[in-house]
Amino acid sequence: MRLLRYIWRTVAVVLVVTLAGITYPGAVLVSMIVRLTPPPTASGRVPQGALSWLHVAHPNGGVPYIADDQGRMVLLHGAIPGGLIDFWYGGNPTRPDPPPYYPIDRQAYDGEFCPANTAFMPVPPLCKDDIAKMAALGFNSLRLPLSWSLIEPQRGQFSQAYLGRIAQVVGWARDQGMYVILDMHQNAYSRYVGAPADGTANLRYYTGAPAWATITDGFHSEAYISKREVNPAVLEANTNFWYNRGGIQDEYIASVAFLAQRFKGDTTVAGYSIFNEPLPGWNLPPGFEDLLLFPFYRRVIDAVTGVGDGLPCWSGAVMSAVCGYRDLGVHDLRHLFFLDTGLLREVTDFPTHLGLPVSSYPNLVLAMHAYTHIYTLDSLAEQRPDQAGYPFGGYEQSYSLAEREAEAIGAALFVAEFGNSPEWDALMLTNQLQEEERHRVGFAFWTWMENCGSWGMFEAIDCSDHSPQAKSSGCLRAARERLLSRVYPRASADPTLTYQYDANTGAFSLQAHARPGDPSTIVYIPPAVGGDVTTSGAASQSVVPGADGSRLVTVSPSGGTFSVAVSAAPLSLTGCS
Amino acid sequence: MIEDRRTRDRAATRALVLGLLGLWFGIFAPFAIWTGARSLQRIRASDGTLGGATSAGVGLFAGAIGLAAVVINIAYWFLAS
Repeated sequence: MRLLRYIWRTVAVVLVVTLAGITYPGAVLVSMIVRLTPPPTASGRVPQGALSWLHVAHPNGGVPYIADDQGRMVLLHGAIPGGLIDFWYGGNPTRPDPPPYYPIDRQAYDGEFCPANTAFMPVPPLCKDDIAKMAALGFNSLRLPLSWSLIEPQRGQFSQAYLGRIAQVVGWARDQGMYVILDMHQNAYSRYVGAPADGTANLRYYTGAPAWATITDGFHSEAYISKREVNPAVLEANTNFWYNRGGIQDEYIASVAFLAQRFKGDTTVAGYSIFNEPLPGWNLPPGFEDLLLFPFYRRVIDAVTGVGDGLPCWSGAVMSAVCGYRDLGVHDLRHLFFLDTGLLREVTDFPTHLGLPVSSYPNLVLAMHAYTHIYTLDSLAEQRPDQAGYPFGGYEQSYSLAEREAEAIGAALFVAEFGNSPEWDALMLTNQLQEEERHRVGFAFWTWMENCGSWGMFEAIDCSDHSPQAKSSGCLRAARERLLSRVYPRASADPTLTYQYDANTGAFSLQAHARPGDPSTIVYIPPAVGGDVTTSGAASQSVVPGADGSRLVTVSPSGGTFSVAVSAAPLSLTGCS
Repeated sequence: MIEDRRTRDRAATRALVLGLLGLWFGIFAPFAIWTGARSLQRIRASDGTLGGATSAGVGLFAGAIGLAAVVINIAYWFLAS
């Protein structure tokens, strides 16, 4: 009896220790080890490129920030074009799995050629002219959404054609001096989750995983409460991904590595956004984020950089929070990794995880999506944005909490998505941009162009016409140009600077502090802004006009406090072009 | 064969379940510690008439680990952010 009791006690303790290892205690322990692990350093010759390498600077006691090779804080402003996303083509609603509509072969976009647009697709094709238009608005970056279904259409077979198409867009951006964030995009997991049983497929905006990696276990596909994420098949497919059913997560990691292998020496690529708007499936917060999502991010970073955080585990099956991942031989130690906080945070504007350190790799960026009053709880309760009772802290709540989350994780902060319907620009867009200025974070605006939907920077094409259309869009929306084509500091040695832009008057002011010998502060002024530029205090300025009418102000500090101002003047918006 | 005729303390099983839950959901950990400690106290005071010491002890142990994780995590959040 005593022996049996002894065995039972031993088994019970071993069981508890094992369970502790794969749950929160293990996750916390590994995170603390990661936190104490010295960051890896990239060795060897630094590949030179058109743009400065970006990294994340970690000031003592301060919020990490994206920096260039001179150590200056860099603000990325950009938009999100959806032309490379494998969206479902709605031309034949009875067919749930049509082939990609827009050509993948880069030759179809050579020169100034752009394939025909169609209202059956949610967005127009992405062409060279689009990138030039972005640059003309003063954007210095773009977030380029990609689809796993096009990277790895068959299991283990990676598409060189799609990679070539991505490289083509990266090349266009390089020509314009713009950074590209390669975004592994998904919405509602995949367009292969299946159509409702009545055959009326409406999978518009569904995208992400290839058919072979979409395991729905027979759950029916139907969007409840008009939300594509509230779909049993989508929830089941997501759950299977997070538990690495059939090794599909391993394949995803291999896809990111495939991408990184191609761009690891490319300065135009700012980094990789690992997973867009992760949906927990049937899992609950904060266990989803802490035990599944962020450990998954760690594994991707392990695989691509070779930093080796986390414990070695078997792959091909469910991997616990303590697991790292094997080095896939890419050794990309120079790019940023953008970590999306997840869909539940987007709904709550509140942290849905405990902010555990993810990786010893230093170039991490917490990628928040700012959709206050659009997808937050108040909107689910059908409150008007201008009379909403939530978030209690207003627009500021999401930003101030995200800043703390980022600091805990050891990441810089970036608004990887925000946007709204144009009728709310004066309220929502204005407030979001004010918060971004206040918190000194860059942004990517959703979306560049959109067919039939209304969120694009441009008016949509005629959506009653379902024949192929030569035009990608209608006119550039004046309010969007006014608000998003802004005067802003592109780089500064002072990460605590403050700046304000008034989109109504074109007036701008910046206050900063510099030590003698600090590198210059660069301020971009779009063509629409015509006010006079003055610099006062301990700095001198030089203004270089661009061919498009924009101005680039280089402010060279001599040590001390300085300020830069652009006087108010009527804006000359381009409008329809 | 000697039959164990002791009555099992019901709180011992509760402590075990709460302790295991506390590894995933830290909110349960303090309750596991409290229940486990009380159960052990009763079992020891029963002069061998109450059983379940292993379950109560393991529940208390699991609760302590779960609580430690929560405390470290919260402390880290406030120190690092």
